[in-house]
Amino acid sequence: MSRLKKILFISGALVVFLTVYVVDVVRHTVSVDLEGALYLREGAIIGAFFLLYLFIRGERLGKPIAIPKSIGKLLMVSVLVILVGSMVVFFGRSPAGEGEGEPPYFAIVHLLSVVFGLTLGLFSINTLLTIKDLLLHKRRKGTKRNLVVYVVLLMCASVLSFPMMSGELPLAPTLLFAASVVMIVVNSFKQNWIVYLSRREKLYSIGYSALLFLAFIALNLLTTQSPVDQVISSFHYPLKTFAQLNAIFGAVYFGMAFISTLFHLPTAEVYERKQSELTSLHNLSRLVTQVFDFSDLVNTVTAMTLEVVGAKSAWLELIKERGANGQVAVEVVSNRNISHEMIEVITMDSESSLRRLVLDSKRALLIDDAGSDRRTRHIKKQGVSIGSLLSVPLVSQGEPIGFLHATKDFEFGFDQDDIDVMTTFADHVTIAIENSKLIEKSLKRERYQQEIMVAQQMQKRLLPQRLPYYACLDIAAVSEPSMEVGGDYYDFVKLDGDRLGVVVGDVSGKGVSAAFYMAEVKGIFQSISKLCASPRELLLRSNESLTESLERKAFISLLYGIIDMQKGTLTVARAGHCPMIYVSGLDARMVRPSGIGLGLTNDRMFEEATQETTLELRKDDLCIFYTDGINESRNHEGEEFGFDRLVQAALGSRFQSAENIKQTILTEIRNYTGDSSYGDDMTLVVIKWLGHLEA
Amino acid sequence: MSEFKVHQRDGEGVSVIDLKGYLDAHTAPDLENAFQKLIDEKKFNIVVNCKDLSYISSAGLGVFMAYIEDVRKNQGDIKLTNMSAKVYNVFDLLGFPILYEIYKDEQEAVGKFAARK
Repeated sequence: MSRLKKILFISGALVVFLTVYVVDVVRHTVSVDLEGALYLREGAIIGAFFLLYLFIRGERLGKPIAIPKSIGKLLMVSVLVILVGSMVVFFGRSPAGEGEGEPPYFAIVHLLSVVFGLTLGLFSINTLLTIKDLLLHKRRKGTKRNLVVYVVLLMCASVLSFPMMSGELPLAPTLLFAASVVMIVVNSFKQNWIVYLSRREKLYSIGYSALLFLAFIALNLLTTQSPVDQVISSFHYPLKTFAQLNAIFGAVYFGMAFISTLFHLPTAEVYERKQSELTSLHNLSRLVTQVFDFSDLVNTVTAMTLEVVGAKSAWLELIKERGANGQVAVEVVSNRNISHEMIEVITMDSESSLRRLVLDSKRALLIDDAGSDRRTRHIKKQGVSIGSLLSVPLVSQGEPIGFLHATKDFEFGFDQDDIDVMTTFADHVTIAIENSKLIEKSLKRERYQQEIMVAQQMQKRLLPQRLPYYACLDIAAVSEPSMEVGGDYYDFVKLDGDRLGVVVGDVSGKGVSAAFYMAEVKGIFQSISKLCASPRELLLRSNESLTESLERKAFISLLYGIIDMQKGTLTVARAGHCPMIYVSGLDARMVRPSGIGLGLTNDRMFEEATQETTLELRKDDLCIFYTDGINESRNHEGEEFGFDRLVQAALGSRFQSAENIKQTILTEIRNYTGDSSYGDDMTLVVIKWLGHLEA
Repeated sequence: MSEFKVHQRDGEGVSVIDLKGYLDAHTAPDLENAFQKLIDEKKFNIVVNCKDLSYISSAGLGVFMAYIEDVRKNQGDIKLTNMSAKVYNVFDLLGFPILYEIYKDEQEAVGKFAARK
């Protein structure tokens, strides 16, 4: 409601009351009697009270109802009204009352009656609204209807109580009054608000409602006192009935409230505890979604345990490992009001330790009297005193992952409700802890993933960033790891005397270890290739270096060729690698000098086995280096692409550029394998001899 | 892909391992376990029959490398037999025939152990 409206209501009402007062005084002085004016006067007063009602309702609207407080306020106001009423009684009986009728005296007395009437009216309206709030708190279907019926009856009874109306219907006011009282009783049974009060609030309510009951009785008595009666009647006759009925309502309602609060008092504690249990469980289920900080989580769990079952101390243990003979190693992740030493004493690991008992039964363990219980007698001997103890397991997918313990100082501190609540609570805790672990795990995995991505970037940089350029050579190369990182390697090295070294290698196994070996191979190749006159020599020296550092089941296959661009020759040595494909005109063949993989055997055997071979290159001859990922690519039937298809693809595209030949081979493989993903790392280097260097 | 199977037969002074299917990085641990078991039982005369071995990867070859030293140190050997042409090619590319005795026939390999006694 707007401020302007409120001001209009209150000022409108005050203007009416002021006018009525002035007119009354004038009328009394001049003694003009107008029948019609009387009706107008009473109507105006009713209207003014209605405006006051609107004003008070507007004032109360939007403010939350604080129950014991609102009753307390009503009590204060009622005491005030009683005080004013008593004053009226006191002055009304004074001897000065004899001088009534003198105009100046009347003006003062009448002012008093208007002010008192106004106060009583305001108070009655306030009473009605306060009771309305209480009634409609947790209302049912009929609640409002009953109230409306009462208010309608109240209005009718009040209006019909005019003496001039009773002439026509003598019984009506009495009947309406009686009916209103019946509705008062009916309405007074609705005391739902009491249930939701805390124990403390209930105590307040008992006091307030008892005093209010007395206050309303007193008001009832006051309104029947002759001076008050007279004062009210001289101001506004219907107000008497209105105030009386409301005083009765107040007395009956708060009388009933007093009794029902008294009856509700013993259950107050239970209700309060249920509510706190509910709140805690609600909080925990919210906690389940906020499990990014493990230590926060477990500390909240123990704090809530204290709250939920009203325990003195609580601690949470997580199982680190379980021994074969049923022994458990635990870690206390959070403890409240209890030291680690005390926990040690209480849960002392023995044949019948508390943890074992809980583990064996997989259910809550309750020790009602820790001092005399045979399972916990050892605790007292150690000088630690606890009254009762409750331990529940945290069970995830049938496997215990930890324990939640709570103690109280006195014996028989936990009842069945506590066990149920703790068990439910433990389920929530389990979920929260599991979630927390999962999140941690996935964060870790994400970190690993990032590390792998870094490794992938690093490995890509180990491969040539640019292909070497020579007028007599056309070179194309590609290397694709099947996983994030691979064990394939290819490289070029510029040697003295217009010679180019070309190497392709494959580290056994895959993944990170293969990637490390590949980096090692690159280091060795780059450092010794310039020192070795022939491919064979390079392989011998590489084997020497690698045999030491490779693990036993790891080995590296390598194919190394040196192109002499002045002589137009290619010299190749092979360490267990796939043979080179050499295409010259229509003739295609495998170049396969004998040799053993690097890291397989000692130097002497390796030296004996390793041979090299030299080819005289002719214009447009093709040399294809590759790893086994190429020829071992499989189709859906599990058949390999094989050497023959590789050779055919090379032959078919031999007139094209090296880049196109490379693309043709890759396309052939892709067509062959279909959408079955590559099984292995694939590396392909195509070199085309364009002819001798011009001098 | 067909699965991989390792089966062990113990003859007189010689243990025979039958391999079947694909031997790659995923299935290599099965063969490793078989070798380890034989070494633990001090059976160092080993023949590996590759009759039903359809594929071997570099990781598979690595398994033989991992155990040969231990076996030979104990006066034993790992001999390979009955390889298909394709499988032999893989062994051959890497130079295995220089390092291992490879026979066409299982009896021949078993006979070699017997002859040595």
